[in-house]
Amino acid sequence: MAAARLLQAVVPRFRCLGSLGKAAPSTSQLSSRLYGTLLAPEANQQMDPTVINDKLITEPLRHPDFFNVKELFSLKELFDARVHLGHKKGCRHGFMEPYIFGCRLDQDIIDLDQTMKHLQLALNFTAHVAYRKGIILFISRNRQFGHLVEVTARDCGEYAHTRYWQGGLLTNAHIQYGTGIRLPDLLIFISTLNNVFEPHVAIRDAAKMNIPTVGVVDTNCNPSIITYPIPGNDDSPQAVELYCRLFKMTITRAKNKRKQMEVLYGLQNKADSS
Amino acid sequence: MAGSRLEKLGSVFTRTRDLLRSRVLAEAQKPLWFDVYAAFPPLREPVYREPRQRYGKVKDVIPPILYQEDEIRATFYEAYGNGPKAFELSRLNFKSTCQRFVEKFNELQKEGKIEPEKLFEETGKQLLAEGIILRRKGTANVAQQTRQEVKTRDIVLEMNLQTMLEERQEQKQDQEEEHLESTDMMKENPLS
Repeated sequence: MAAARLLQAVVPRFRCLGSLGKAAPSTSQLSSRLYGTLLAPEANQQMDPTVINDKLITEPLRHPDFFNVKELFSLKELFDARVHLGHKKGCRHGFMEPYIFGCRLDQDIIDLDQTMKHLQLALNFTAHVAYRKGIILFISRNRQFGHLVEVTARDCGEYAHTRYWQGGLLTNAHIQYGTGIRLPDLLIFISTLNNVFEPHVAIRDAAKMNIPTVGVVDTNCNPSIITYPIPGNDDSPQAVELYCRLFKMTITRAKNKRKQMEVLYGLQNKADSS
Repeated sequence: MAGSRLEKLGSVFTRTRDLLRSRVLAEAQKPLWFDVYAAFPPLREPVYREPRQRYGKVKDVIPPILYQEDEIRATFYEAYGNGPKAFELSRLNFKSTCQRFVEKFNELQKEGKIEPEKLFEETGKQLLAEGIILRRKGTANVAQQTRQEVKTRDIVLEMNLQTMLEERQEQKQDQEEEHLESTDMMKENPLS
């Protein structure tokens, strides 16, 4: 008792200790307030794990640019990476005409203002798919950049296919690889053409299997079936390096954000249970 | 899992949406990307379009990119060929001789002291003063070229069948004489 009084004199907080000796029922509440939980009132409200899951997944869709992909690139960066350079006039595909700015001495110049918008949409989409733990497959049949694409995919923690595309890879997957196979949720084409300058088979296969595609379309490519086309140069090394860097950054950003959000809501989950 | 493999019949989104609506696909089987696409659709719906073959005259819808300086550049390249300095495309702020010429030309034009017909020569002279030597395309070699052309033309004109036959006969005679001499030598040698 004397010790308790001494403590009260020194630290006024411990006044309630005096009441400990009396062993009143209210003391337990007071003691819990002293040595109590960090998150007090909010934790009690979100009891339902499904509600948290919905918040985790649907919350990002309400923001126009949740992952802030706009800051990753600028018009000047695209210009310096020669993204605006297309092929010659004779190689032009009819459906690429709306994306072309003009023709300088028979070489097509791609409209970079449009490219900016398309690139922002495409990066935003990949970020959201990566956030939801989707499987992403990089495809490029351009032998000059095959290694770069594979390295990019490995650094993201995703997958790449830069070799010969076997016919039934997507359409016959359940027979070729077994019944429980999970197909990719997004295909990213660094170059939509194959070695014979024809559209890659995977574009048509992805449309068949209801898988969305993101692809860099040059002036000699067909952008009709690609879900999120990005009109731009797919032949210059600087341009391809830029695309690989941008995709890698968006995917890592999205995955880190997912971990952050899980930890945030995970803490609240633990607080509920304790 | 059910799916629709008709890639030419509407977009990926419309087909999946209809499968969900008709309850062929359960809500739990809804693909990952569906909500994301619904929230952020692309600028153009990815519907299949048949690439049309264009017959006859093809209208070029895309405008050519031309600048006012292109006139000056055209006269420069006609007069001086490719220019003394090679293009360094790895540098982004590179200025070629043609570009310097164009800038000088515009400066002189703005000043307005020189007549427009003499502007071209004046800029050439001023660049010479700054240290850039511009060789006129073909002026150094024009005389040689004309001489060579004259020679070849003369040869072609002079090439008659008669003269060619005469030359061939002469050559044959020379060869026979040489052969006779060599045989004479052969005869003499074993004797000696």
